[in-house]
Amino acid sequence: MSILKLTGISAGYGPVRVLHDLDLSVEPGERLGLVGLNGHGKTTLLSTIVGLTGWQDGSIVFEGKEIGGRRTHGVGRKTPGIVRSGIALAPQGDAIFPGLSVKDNLDSGAYTSASWRSRKRRRDSVINVFPPLGKLLKQTAGTLSGGERRMVSVGRALMSDSKLYLVDEPSLGLAPKISMGLVAALCEIDIGEGAMIIAEQNLPLLEGRVDRMLGMHAGEIKLDVGEALGDVPPSAGGMH
Amino acid sequence: MSKTSSSPQSKHLIGRRAWRPAWPARPDRVLRRRRYFGSKRSVLKLSGQFNPKTLKREVVLTDKKPLFWLFGLFLLVAIPTAVGSERFLSLFGIICIYAAINVMWTLIMGTAGLQSFATLATVGVGSYGAAYLSITFGLPWPLMLLVGLVLGIAMGFLISLPARRLDGLYYALLTLGLSEFCRNFVTQNEALGGKFNGALFGAGRIVPSDMLTTRLGQTLAFLTTFVALLVALGVFRWINGGRIGLLLKAASTSKEDESFASAIGIDWQRARMIVFMVASGVLGALGAFYSTYIGGTSLQIFSLDLLLLMLAMIVIGGLGRAEGAVIGTVIVVGITQWFTDWGPWRIVLAGALALLSVLYTRNGLFGLKEQMREIRTRRQALHRAAQTTKYAEYLPQQAPDIHDKSLIAGRTFERELREKLRGWITPEIIEEHRRSPLGQHSDHLERILNYFRKAPIPDKYAVYTEVPFQSYRVVALSGLPGVPPRIVDDKTYGSLDEAYHAVFMRRINDLKAS
Amino acid sequence: MIELIISAAVLASMYGLVAIGISFTWASIGMLNLAQGFIFTAGGYAAYLYAQTMTNLGITEGPVMSIGLLISGMAGSAIAGLFVGSIAFLPLQDRANFRTRGLIATLAISLIGTQLWLIFFGPQSKPLPPIFGTGRIEIGSGGVSYSQLGAIVIATLMLTAVIMWMRSSRAGLQMRAMMMNPLGAAVVGVSVRVTGMRVLAISGALTGLASVMLAQTFFVSPTSGVQPLTVGLIISLAGGLGSIPGTVIAAAIVGLAEALTARYLAQSLVPFVLFGIVVLILVFRPRGLGGLLEDVRE
Repeated sequence: MSILKLTGISAGYGPVRVLHDLDLSVEPGERLGLVGLNGHGKTTLLSTIVGLTGWQDGSIVFEGKEIGGRRTHGVGRKTPGIVRSGIALAPQGDAIFPGLSVKDNLDSGAYTSASWRSRKRRRDSVINVFPPLGKLLKQTAGTLSGGERRMVSVGRALMSDSKLYLVDEPSLGLAPKISMGLVAALCEIDIGEGAMIIAEQNLPLLEGRVDRMLGMHAGEIKLDVGEALGDVPPSAGGMH
Repeated sequence: MSKTSSSPQSKHLIGRRAWRPAWPARPDRVLRRRRYFGSKRSVLKLSGQFNPKTLKREVVLTDKKPLFWLFGLFLLVAIPTAVGSERFLSLFGIICIYAAINVMWTLIMGTAGLQSFATLATVGVGSYGAAYLSITFGLPWPLMLLVGLVLGIAMGFLISLPARRLDGLYYALLTLGLSEFCRNFVTQNEALGGKFNGALFGAGRIVPSDMLTTRLGQTLAFLTTFVALLVALGVFRWINGGRIGLLLKAASTSKEDESFASAIGIDWQRARMIVFMVASGVLGALGAFYSTYIGGTSLQIFSLDLLLLMLAMIVIGGLGRAEGAVIGTVIVVGITQWFTDWGPWRIVLAGALALLSVLYTRNGLFGLKEQMREIRTRRQALHRAAQTTKYAEYLPQQAPDIHDKSLIAGRTFERELREKLRGWITPEIIEEHRRSPLGQHSDHLERILNYFRKAPIPDKYAVYTEVPFQSYRVVALSGLPGVPPRIVDDKTYGSLDEAYHAVFMRRINDLKAS
Repeated sequence: MIELIISAAVLASMYGLVAIGISFTWASIGMLNLAQGFIFTAGGYAAYLYAQTMTNLGITEGPVMSIGLLISGMAGSAIAGLFVGSIAFLPLQDRANFRTRGLIATLAISLIGTQLWLIFFGPQSKPLPPIFGTGRIEIGSGGVSYSQLGAIVIATLMLTAVIMWMRSSRAGLQMRAMMMNPLGAAVVGVSVRVTGMRVLAISGALTGLASVMLAQTFFVSPTSGVQPLTVGLIISLAGGLGSIPGTVIAAAIVGLAEALTARYLAQSLVPFVLFGIVVLILVFRPRGLGGLLEDVRE
């Protein structure tokens, strides 16, 4: 059984419709790469899963439970519930808390009571993934550099004991070397029976690291990654 | 006007026609607009039109608002004068004064976009200043009004100073405390009647006090309040409908609008200040007028509850509209002054009305019409979408935002058509086309070909002759003049029929993929 | 001199409690709670009802009375806060123009509330029994009464406790997270609605504490919430909405200014001095003192 199954998803903001009747399913233990140019709906797809778009329609089944449905208002009203049911999102840009310390930022990611109790251990394992954070725990998150902020944001998502991790544009605005390291670290994390979706513009970053790659073009899923990215040749190894 | 001219209603959207009063026009006379003296504003917005049903010329009243205003104001002045009881006259007198204050407040909150709660503080300063000077130095009432005006402008200047620096809500907070402070000041000041709970009596009146026991005197006093309301409405119209109001409309709703307005050269801050000062001046004069009306003043004018009650009036009527301010005042003052034996419950009722209108309406009583219309179109769209949900290209919640409903219909039709054609694609049809690309075909194939033919030019497939009778290629047209077609693939075809069929197959594939 | 400082400190701590409630609500849920005056009075009347019940049972003083008064006041205000939230916050929270509509809704509640108190408790001021006894400690030239001392100590303790709780607990972390970035908070599973109601209850409890302690000198009446509301508003404004240290400093300044003006100038000038100070602060720092502190920190 797939861990996440989207059927007939449409979503958008106000009069703008971004996703058009989209189907997608994610299997347990799978690392899925979602590539596509700017403005083709990658972020909207991830936000739709957690209910953060302006409106949405269509079914989203997560671990056999329906979390989607038609919704015309109430942005983010269901998000906390969805997130608590086991989906962690590292949103685009940094939705970190600039006035809190790095430690508090990470702790805020441990939102289930089980993960809150084991937050020290979880913090250590996040630091294992992102060693630079170890020295910065006391620092205010607002004073970090872009790469460090992104690490905090992704690390915060890893603090929860979620089944599904959604990582949105880990490389956005980062130097190539740093984003390479970040994505490599992401792809080495043990997700067990869970799954991870990484949305990314930069195809070579994901190539060979994820189990499956899908292209997004104009709000629809294209199996052919090259089509979504225009002239970039499709990768042979990344395809199922 | 000829009979064949298109329907005058055609500029309206499908669905609802605007209902406008129309009456036959004299064909021998030219329609002449009347204008207000000294201005270019027309008294009534009239336009000539041709009625396609009766085939007659008509004069149409485009804007019915002036008639409503006239009728409403007539009722406001006629009812109390006709009834003539003292209670009625004083009730409507209070309504007129409060309505005038509320109209000025609307000017500040709506037109100038300043969230100021200093209204009653300004009124109170005008009222106390005028009453104090009148009692101490025996000022006659015209001078009291003048003093009120000057005090109001001064107050407006002082209060508007922080407005330049502060954000909307910060400013609201700052000014909310102002009347409470004024109340404190008066309580502790003996010259202003601090000992007698801030009550001052014996100020000059417009209608002499010995006349006030007669019905004539009471009616006259009421009429003065009505004149005050008319003055306030006139100022509102003059500012809000004039150039400054127009300038401020560009800047009034959001921060981005403000930046945009400055970018196109509107000095909205200055315009805002002017509006604020004018409104404050009138508010001060209204305060002084209040003193002349009741022959003194009292601390009630500074109380937070009165301020909240006035806010309730504005909110119930609809923020930012003069008619809303007046109707809201009539409702709330009517409740609070007429049912005096209900005690505090009447204020609870007024507050509950305000609360309900904030919770359930978008902009009070006068925003209701728009809200209802929106709900209706949304519901219609949902209904329509539910019927055609299989083919709808748009989500129902999106449909109300698209004004041209034919777009939706067109898209729905196209999709339906494509789906039908797709069902007709069979190996037999393809084989039939392969055998003879030109000439007579079966019905289904003919329809499919017709659909292909009406495709738009950009990216339309065509056959390109490299060597006549030997080599043909499939190209796609660019759709732009001067830009050559691009070659689609590297296959060449030996005969024209083969090339035709290749084009057909490409189109079939595109249709399948769509 | 000591009396001056003490009275300034009492005023500052009382106003500070109310102001922090307002500031806190604004920063976390983006709603200006102008029904804080209503919440204030609710606490006073809850304590009054408690005192009535206790007196009927024959207890007029002692720890049961004192602690009960404080707790009942806080509980009453917290419930009033939840009530305000369920009317003005929950239905409007994700609708258009929430800020303006929330402001008007809370104002309407405050209008209704005053009248309801008037209906149920009448216009007379109700006294509360003394919480801290009636004694006095002499220090040097001046002295300080038990109630003044108690007010300062309890307010400080309460404020410290709340700040500590905000710093260390999970709910506190969630609230701070929501203040910084509501979207980010939603992503980490913080429900704006639940946390918002929690914030309203806590700021209500703080206000209720101030209400009970101020009632020692000013009694409880239907309109007794107006003065704390207006002063609380301008303090939270001067302190920078959402900044706890800024609010504390602003409360200290305002308390001192009020005590000094009342002593050396005239009681009638107090409002104007306060207003002038706040306008001055805001003209130089449109975001209040909290903004100043944040600038320094960065």
